[in-house]
Amino acid sequence: MFKIIKIKSTPEKEIIKEAVKILKNNGLIIFPTETLYGIGASATSKVAIDKLLKYKARREGKPLSIAVDSLEMAEKYVEVNKIARNLYSNFLPGPLTVVSKSLGKVAKGIESETGTLGIRIPDYKLVTDIVKAFGKPITATSANASYKKHPYSIDDILNNISTKQKDLIGLILDAGQLPKRESSTVVDTTLNEEIVLRQGNIKLTKLLEKNTNSPEETQALGIEIFNKYKNYLGYKSIIFALQGELGAGKTEMTKGIARVLGIQNTINSPTFIIEKEYKIETVPDSFLSEQKPIFYHIDTWRLSDKTELEEIGFFEKIEKNNVFAIEWANKFTELFDQIKNDAVIIWVKIEHQKEETSRAITISDYSL
Amino acid sequence: MKILAIDTSCDETSVAVTSNDNIISNKISSQIEIHKKWGGVVPSIARRMHEENIDLVVKETLAGAKVKLSDINVFAVTKGPGLSIALEVGIKKIKELAKEYNKPVVAVNHMEGHIYSALSHNKNGNPKIKYAFPFLALLVSGGHTEIVLVKEFGKYEILGRTLDDAVGEAYDKVARMLELGYPGGPMIEKLAKSGDATRFPLPVPMTKTRTTDMSYSGLKTAVLYLTQKVFTEDLKPKEKTQIIYDISASFQKSAIDALMIKTKIALEDIAKEYKVKDLILAGGVSANMTLRKKFRSTFGKNYRIHFPTDKKLFGDNAGMIGVAAYHNALRNNFVDIESLTRDPNLSL
Repeated sequence: MFKIIKIKSTPEKEIIKEAVKILKNNGLIIFPTETLYGIGASATSKVAIDKLLKYKARREGKPLSIAVDSLEMAEKYVEVNKIARNLYSNFLPGPLTVVSKSLGKVAKGIESETGTLGIRIPDYKLVTDIVKAFGKPITATSANASYKKHPYSIDDILNNISTKQKDLIGLILDAGQLPKRESSTVVDTTLNEEIVLRQGNIKLTKLLEKNTNSPEETQALGIEIFNKYKNYLGYKSIIFALQGELGAGKTEMTKGIARVLGIQNTINSPTFIIEKEYKIETVPDSFLSEQKPIFYHIDTWRLSDKTELEEIGFFEKIEKNNVFAIEWANKFTELFDQIKNDAVIIWVKIEHQKEETSRAITISDYSL
Repeated sequence: MKILAIDTSCDETSVAVTSNDNIISNKISSQIEIHKKWGGVVPSIARRMHEENIDLVVKETLAGAKVKLSDINVFAVTKGPGLSIALEVGIKKIKELAKEYNKPVVAVNHMEGHIYSALSHNKNGNPKIKYAFPFLALLVSGGHTEIVLVKEFGKYEILGRTLDDAVGEAYDKVARMLELGYPGGPMIEKLAKSGDATRFPLPVPMTKTRTTDMSYSGLKTAVLYLTQKVFTEDLKPKEKTQIIYDISASFQKSAIDALMIKTKIALEDIAKEYKVKDLILAGGVSANMTLRKKFRSTFGKNYRIHFPTDKKLFGDNAGMIGVAAYHNALRNNFVDIESLTRDPNLSL
């Protein structure tokens, strides 16, 4: 049977000592945070985590987050990249779960399927003091059994679990009724970690360098570039591999290309949906094949590796002599190097200039 | 009328059982323990992922609704808009089920589903909703931003839409610029609460001329230049934190103001003759409470305001598809199973 400690009337030293004792024995402790009551188990102990998973009964499709006391402790368990560092230094401790790539040092069942780990530094000194005294992270998942009421008081928890579940608890730190705050916000820092310009490894011929001074001029340049390659339309796939930072004008360039292809639709961003497709209306008279080529506007912003491009059927589409505009193409530079003989690939690099509306655009291809 | 609906338009595999316009059970793959991931954070766009999920989600949904496949009267599926390869998985499954149980199929436009997310009831028939055609819907998500006039069921006119980025996408990209991680919406909304929107005023997009079309690309670029200007090397840590709060606040203000201004123009210039009484705000970004509050304070005096009636109905889900399918089925809008195919660019 668990022990309940009333936080208000117990010296902190004593609470910490008791909590650490339970954690060391692979027990479960229920503790208050700035959001809701959490349940803690030693994150590095398989026995403790198995016990916790048993307590949570039916798991949602969500991994467990863990609490650390500092950035230093976090760095022992995850790769803290630039985005994560920004979050740690500006917003932690606080109601935020920062997801990073795990170093694989926690017990099985905590990490996500893709090997990431969510970390909290609760804005509740008693909890970070316990973690500090324990010397290792503890789980910081909410103390309710899955699908049950969010726990703002000890009664919220105890009234909604079975005797068997109660038997799994080692210690309850009771801080009374917590103010009703939302649970922590989860952010993933592993997506688009760094857009590396890996173009150094491949050999390209620079064909054109031009500055544009408005989105319209960028569009017009799109038309101009396409016209250089239009003879391939219908006979070979034509790929515009676009690179440029956020807001550079990759979509503007795509709009120009779509215009020469006679596409009337509004060309808006495919970021969320990954890929948008449009029927090409202008096909050369000499084009005999029954199937007209399609214009695919692809955005790899949300993709993490090239196998995901494969899974949206990219390679089959290349075989069918279509036209592509691919944003953030530089994420998969090697892939384009591999297919350079199967398609006409035009690299379009768009760079911001000092003047807000002006861009430096460089066009290159593989013709050496 | 019991309907089993499937939505696989993008990241989520979702299945629902509905009875008329009541949602009995509405399951979304990220909320079931199939693939343990940080809910909806990393896109699992692959066909494989949907294929692996679909049978289990169907099973869980039926169990949740306490019905058997043989109890289903109509099968419904999202036909588009969405990612081709993802849509195909749902369509294939629905064809299979409809053939096996010899029941008719309704093909639903995903955006029509979002409209009905605000007109859906739970299994007990709550909440009660009073609305009348014609009405106006502002649909906001990661992939869409559009103002739709709903003249009557099935008769839609898009009065305005984004010419480049969707508003949800703008949140994500601004969050990337501020190095806040993904997804950006909940984080920016949270940080904006501690920020001063007047410190770094940002332009409200496309408001120089009186148009109902929208653009978020320019606002995104404006934030980019702002960050380059204000994040200097010599900033003290606390100053940097405050700047992030303030930029979040001013970005959110411009993004939301644009939606309000455009909706107002649509109501005043185009929808006026239709005597609209009801306004709907739906789609993933309507989960943003600041946006919902602003929508209500701007339009609540003159219109009845409707939001998705359950937390699960903000983002992509099959419950809303089932309810939209019910209204289609009432009008005998069934499709030929053999020729049913995805339409990734489908528009209202």
